[in-house]
Amino acid sequence: MKRYSFFKKQENHKSTDFTDVLEHLQKSKDFTSFTLNFENEIYCVSFFDTLIDKDIMHRDLLPYLHTNSSTLEELVHNLPIEGLVFTKNPAELQSQLLMGYIAITLNKSDQAVLVKAANNTSRQVTLPEVEFSVVGPKEALVESLDTNLYLIRKRLPIAELAVEEIIVGKLSKTRVAVLHIEGIANKENVETVIQRISDLRVNQIIDSSYISQMIEDNKNSPFPQFIDTERPDRLAAVLGEGKVVILVDGAPHGLLGPSTFFEYFAAFEDYFLNWTIASFFRLIRFFAVLFSILMTPIYVAVLTYHYELIPKDLVSTLVISRSGIPFPPILEALILELAIELLREAGARLPTKVGQTIGIVGGIVIGTASVEAGLTSNVLLILVALSALGSFTTPVYQMGNTIRLIRFPLLLMAYFLGLLGIAISFCFLLVHLLRITSLGRPFLEPLYPPRIYDMRDALIRLPFFLQAKRPIEVQTEDTVRLEPKEDSKE
Amino acid sequence: MNDKSDQISPFLVFFLIVKIQVGVGVLGFQRIIIQSAGHDAWMAVIISGVVFSLGIWGMYKLLNRHDMDLIGIQKRLFGKWLGGLLNIIWILYWLMVGISVLRSYLEIVQSWVFPQINTWLVTSIFALLIYYVVLGGFRVVAGFCFLGISIPSYLILTFYFPLEFTHFRNLLPIWDHSLKDMALASKQMSYSYLGVSTLMMYYPLVKHRNSSQKWAQLGNLTSVFLYLCLTILTIGYYSEGQISRYIWATLSFWGIVQMPFVERFEYIGIATWVLVLVPSVCLYMWVSARGISQYFKMKQKTIYALLLILLVVMTNLIKGRGMINQFVDYISNLGLILEIPYVLFLVCLSTVMSNKKEDKK
Repeated sequence: MKRYSFFKKQENHKSTDFTDVLEHLQKSKDFTSFTLNFENEIYCVSFFDTLIDKDIMHRDLLPYLHTNSSTLEELVHNLPIEGLVFTKNPAELQSQLLMGYIAITLNKSDQAVLVKAANNTSRQVTLPEVEFSVVGPKEALVESLDTNLYLIRKRLPIAELAVEEIIVGKLSKTRVAVLHIEGIANKENVETVIQRISDLRVNQIIDSSYISQMIEDNKNSPFPQFIDTERPDRLAAVLGEGKVVILVDGAPHGLLGPSTFFEYFAAFEDYFLNWTIASFFRLIRFFAVLFSILMTPIYVAVLTYHYELIPKDLVSTLVISRSGIPFPPILEALILELAIELLREAGARLPTKVGQTIGIVGGIVIGTASVEAGLTSNVLLILVALSALGSFTTPVYQMGNTIRLIRFPLLLMAYFLGLLGIAISFCFLLVHLLRITSLGRPFLEPLYPPRIYDMRDALIRLPFFLQAKRPIEVQTEDTVRLEPKEDSKE
Repeated sequence: MNDKSDQISPFLVFFLIVKIQVGVGVLGFQRIIIQSAGHDAWMAVIISGVVFSLGIWGMYKLLNRHDMDLIGIQKRLFGKWLGGLLNIIWILYWLMVGISVLRSYLEIVQSWVFPQINTWLVTSIFALLIYYVVLGGFRVVAGFCFLGISIPSYLILTFYFPLEFTHFRNLLPIWDHSLKDMALASKQMSYSYLGVSTLMMYYPLVKHRNSSQKWAQLGNLTSVFLYLCLTILTIGYYSEGQISRYIWATLSFWGIVQMPFVERFEYIGIATWVLVLVPSVCLYMWVSARGISQYFKMKQKTIYALLLILLVVMTNLIKGRGMINQFVDYISNLGLILEIPYVLFLVCLSTVMSNKKEDKK
């Protein structure tokens, strides 16, 4: 196994001492190591100059090193820096050097001191782009884990907010943080998440989506089982509901679980609006999604097999729009659906400004031209465009992708078996949703298992005072969310 | 197999009972009972409903005493050999009901929507779907039954359309038929209520099972209510001469549904009926497989695969209206004996035997 030779070599270094480690690292151009001679001692300062913040080194470290001290403890005694680590382990020395620490070693001592001077250049906290909301907070997570933790902790200044950190990835050494509120979150959920993450044996974790794909309950399901969000306010809110949050260093998105099917259709903005309006929007979204999944297949089924289903007046409209079209409905529908997918994919891969042009070219030019050329019918064009719109209404991006994918099997079944085929594939879809779980909790809850209480925040969102308890789905330890008011007479 | 995650809440028994009783029969039960009891047929619906309430009571009596499923109870009461034989009869019965349900549905599809349909292909697709459901365990089967009631329940709204043309005077005069006619109609009505015996297999998987009887009874009452409404509607809407010509009276109701965008609602109704029917076939398959697995040490997957192959083959071998009718009649007659008199007999037997044991002590 040649692949692993690199790792084995690395492991061998454990038995060696500091000088070997430093020599080994010298191979890199950006590794710097210099010695400082004081009266009686020789100190060696080493670091990666690309990883550290040089201001910290010049301002807070080097000026303080010009003292006469015979031990490391004395030397660093008056350093104005936090995060000092003493170590005797060469392996730790190496890994910390690679994390942006400065190592100071003393010639005769077997100890080294590690000074934290990591260069924390990261993006500024900006507006959320995927989950933009008109009202409500406008902060989005960034790539730095520490900043993200700050954004969440700022909203939950309580001691019970527990952060567990796990290092994952043999190559990437990614910091993965698991957050929950003690006393609210179900311990079983937290332990499952931690267990699954620590069991991961992978080389690299580049993004939170890696984690979510690897620790999902049903890895072959097209349905996402962890909600991916860029809003720290949403993360703080679900922590309060008793869910578990996963943050990954380098990922501007957090994961939250366990999640249910219906949560993927809840925009966080729903909570900023009046409950009547929010419920209306949610119902619209569900309708849009159902429409998006079913409309083109129904068109294909009806026009292929069940002409009788359409009333007389409507049939003439359809016939006129389809007269002169050389393709059967299924081909017509597939062409248009694929065209829409092409547009979407092209728009997603191109820079924003070019993307808009693509949208106009694709939407208007191709659409009109294909109708005028007599390749597709007007009616179908309207239906396909509407169902594409419908699939974009899902607030969670991943769910939108799923919705677009599952249209195609339905389309083919509609072609083979008409309405019966649609019904059968719809059954498959339902059963699939029934079978999958999120962190062991049923995905289709509160529809099944039926829990009336949780319905208050599923298809519709009832006012806050009616949601005094946390969702049953999460199986929280402390179920009461809204404490009853004290008696006003007293 | 009895792990806790597979257990269901007691109130789901309600849905399982309704689900198993309201299947393909609803689409065309009216003709047969109205032929026997005329405009008094609605009484037969109530009478046989009450009989089934009694049957459910008997089942709970039996199950609560032994706290195990029917297979175990028969083994205990009749010993290894006789009990085994009776168990095989029951398992075959459930299997055949499952097959007959699917077959009857396909017949509807053939006569209303696709006369030329390739039954091998369609049954294979159905078998795949059922396989996917039952492999999920009882939790998924029960869930599918639940959704199989809640989603198609919108169809109830469509009965508003014939309501306009209903003459409730058709119901008068009440009690115009002889007792013999009523008894015959009640017996024929009982076919539509069959299936509650599956309760005796999933009973161990119900939480707080001893107190779940109220849900089962409520489920039975709901079915009675549904059948009753449909019967009264049928009597009011059709004349007696007309009804004898409609094999699927409920389907014919949908002929009158008119909406600006839908002309022949039957097609939508029949397609939706997939959701009504597949869950009950799944439940029958699950029940038979659970029975078989207690006799043969086979993997669940293999048992299901074999059962479903049998399902596909049998469904395709039974052809033609006459043969289907005959098959369904045989099965229903067997079911009628097994589900009511035999269960009550078991109750008596187990009471006598447990009394004897107490005497010995």
